[in-house]
Amino acid sequence: MAQYSQLDDVFQALSDPTRRTILRRLGEGSASVTELAEPFDMGLPSFMKHIRLLEKSGWIRTHKSGRVRTCSIEMTRFAMVYDWLAEQREVWESRTDRLEAFVTKENS
Amino acid sequence: MNPELDLTISRVIRAPRDAVWDAWADPRKLEQWWVPKPSVGRVVNLDLVPGGSFLTEISENKGEFAGHIDGCFLDVVPNERIVFTTALVGGWRPAENPFITAIITFADHPDGTQYNSLVMHKNPADREAHIGYGFYDGWGTVIGQLAERFEG
Repeated sequence: MAQYSQLDDVFQALSDPTRRTILRRLGEGSASVTELAEPFDMGLPSFMKHIRLLEKSGWIRTHKSGRVRTCSIEMTRFAMVYDWLAEQREVWESRTDRLEAFVTKENS
Repeated sequence: MNPELDLTISRVIRAPRDAVWDAWADPRKLEQWWVPKPSVGRVVNLDLVPGGSFLTEISENKGEFAGHIDGCFLDVVPNERIVFTTALVGGWRPAENPFITAIITFADHPDGTQYNSLVMHKNPADREAHIGYGFYDGWGTVIGQLAERFEG
């Protein structure tokens, strides 16, 4: 059951568009909290709640150096929740499903 | 074929080959199926010649359009084959984050069209690029797979 409660945290972390945007940005490379917060119209305390939740659930690591807190993505979390090639297969399978639905509807 | 890096998808689509081709080659049609709903896709460039730019964008949650695919067509034979890569961008310029080469083929089949995709990936260790490129598309899948684990 311990694994289930961990997955609860994983779900919760991904259930918010702000946090998904943060993860996507960190997928391109590490960034400071200030850089990450910049696109959002949100106070720093609120933004830090998102950062802490991502860190607590294991999606990111943070490291403070002087006044700058740098965040980076935790790849083992991604590896834990999905096999990347299986996920790519799903992307292309569902893309093919949509093509099929589109052309068969168009030609019916 | 490298089983750790490549995937193939074969599908018989019950529609004429030129209709399936057209769903790819017409940008207004392509953007209707390229990304999963409720995201909205936009085809910026679909220059179907070798060296031509293939540039698509995606909007999630009615937000601003963001980069999706930025690649280059390598080979295009109308009604037969489309090959593109994200190792290059339009005009053969080297890309910053190479990720895939995809070979899409269209052939006649008694029931319609034999539609095949071979997608070759750069490197499983290169997951940062994967997340940057695939995260929007993969989002639904992540949830689905997690849900399965809960139920299983």
